[in-house]
Amino acid sequence: MDFIIQGFFQSISLIVSMDEETLNIVLTTLRLTGLSILFILGLGLPLGFALGYFNFPGKHLLRTIADTLLSLPTVVVGLLVYAFISRRGPLGDFQLLFTIRGMAIGQIILGLPIVISYTATAIEGLDNRLKLTLQTLGASGAKLAVTSLWEGRFQILVAALTSYGRIIGEVGSAMMLGGNIKWHTRTITTAITLETGKGDFALGIALGIILLSISFALNISLSFLRRRVGNS
Amino acid sequence: MDPRIIYEIKNLTHSYGKGPQTINIDYLRICEGSVTGIVGPNGSGKSTLLRVLAFLEPYTGGSLFFGGLDPSGKEVDIRKNVTYLLQNSYLLKRSVFENIAYGLRLRNETADLEERVHDSLERVGLSPSKFAQRPWYRLSGGEVQRVALAARLALHPKVLILDEPTANVDESSALLVKEAAVSAWKEWGTTVIVATHDLPWLTEVSTDIISLFRGKMVGHGTENLIHGPWIEENGSVVRTLTDGQKIHALIKEEAELHAAVVNPSDIELITDSEATSSGTNRLRGTVTSMALERATGSALISVQTGDIILKSRMPVEKIKEVRISPASEVTLSFSPEDVRWI
Repeated sequence: MDFIIQGFFQSISLIVSMDEETLNIVLTTLRLTGLSILFILGLGLPLGFALGYFNFPGKHLLRTIADTLLSLPTVVVGLLVYAFISRRGPLGDFQLLFTIRGMAIGQIILGLPIVISYTATAIEGLDNRLKLTLQTLGASGAKLAVTSLWEGRFQILVAALTSYGRIIGEVGSAMMLGGNIKWHTRTITTAITLETGKGDFALGIALGIILLSISFALNISLSFLRRRVGNS
Repeated sequence: MDPRIIYEIKNLTHSYGKGPQTINIDYLRICEGSVTGIVGPNGSGKSTLLRVLAFLEPYTGGSLFFGGLDPSGKEVDIRKNVTYLLQNSYLLKRSVFENIAYGLRLRNETADLEERVHDSLERVGLSPSKFAQRPWYRLSGGEVQRVALAARLALHPKVLILDEPTANVDESSALLVKEAAVSAWKEWGTTVIVATHDLPWLTEVSTDIISLFRGKMVGHGTENLIHGPWIEENGSVVRTLTDGQKIHALIKEEAELHAAVVNPSDIELITDSEATSSGTNRLRGTVTSMALERATGSALISVQTGDIILKSRMPVEKIKEVRISPASEVTLSFSPEDVRWI
């Protein structure tokens, strides 16, 4: 029990002093997840909008696939992407393995279905009077689409935050694709795994507290947004 | 074509998917700067017709001309001049000001944006200082409807289409909505097309009233619609009212004897002593309301007889002569030949 208490106090001093290694791990995590969420939103919002807004053959199948991918195991994603970007894989020439970009591919695959599926749900859930209202005020084409997305902005933000929560907390694909290389691809979750294995609880707990703080901030934002949605 | 005709409809039909026809109108024209009322029971196709006229719903057959031109392919542009107010309006999730400014921003008419938004708010009886910055969720049902109308009025539309605009709002909001719609017509010459059950108001302000029943136009003006059961009796068809009085109509081959209409102009108000030829329908009833019909200069008198209300149209002078008023006991008279099957 003593080692846990000791580890906890040491972790506080690590956070307060923010030593170089801890800071690097946090910044690597933010850089990776920032890059991933940028692509997830860039791809997921238009795809989710199209899936929710338009009726086309195969829509239900696509919807089912997107919903199924919500619970994609992170290690399976890690395995598949590893196979593709490893030296022998079809994308081996790009030398993406054990890089932030390679890790981002895995995270995009993990986070994208969440944004697509939740955005589609948000768009489908929009009041059916919205389209009529916008049309009768003179909107059409892209303006109609953008305003519809904006009307679902609270639900879509919930989708983005949920997706970010998933990628920042995952360890399987980050470990397999990043290799947990110190000063390079070591993220909060891969570092916690390693430090726990080594018995260095202080750094593990310090990083755990930081990760929990980020999750806490995300959840506070989520519950605030849910209240706003409730007002609509 | 007369340049003042804004809508002209010929053999227009509409159906949702492979469902039954919801509209089947042989001919209808609506003049520019007119106030046209559309009346009819629920499910008679009023809302569908309004959406077709607002270019929000494609029709399935026949033709519709707007301003003398075929609007096919130009619906998006036409919608910049034709605006439609839903029965139960939706506001965008933004402030009242931004809701009203939305259409103006789309049209790049932002030079006097604030002035136009505030003017529109005042037209619907909402104080700009109190309401402009309010979020969408802090409004009552009546206020939502008024803001939605203000958003349409701000556009100074050529055509304003209102689908039962006062059905879900309180009395004071209803009055303000009606006044604002009339003000648009008076000040800008906006063509107003309105579906409503508010017959006294419609009678007062409209230049034409169209009666719809099962998607078909059954006449102009406030036709009397008499639902069944119509039962065949001794060579004629009879509708027995709850108080035992009977309305006689003639059997017509191929006609479905479900519902019939009688034009108010065909119904006379007579004194008890006045004789009528045999076979004429003679019904006792009580006057429930009287409204001045702007389009004809006559008065429309509603009389409760048994379980139905029949309207009779008569010159104002005659009313003065016979001295009738609401609650007066009167006798209605019309020929069985005037009962038309629909």
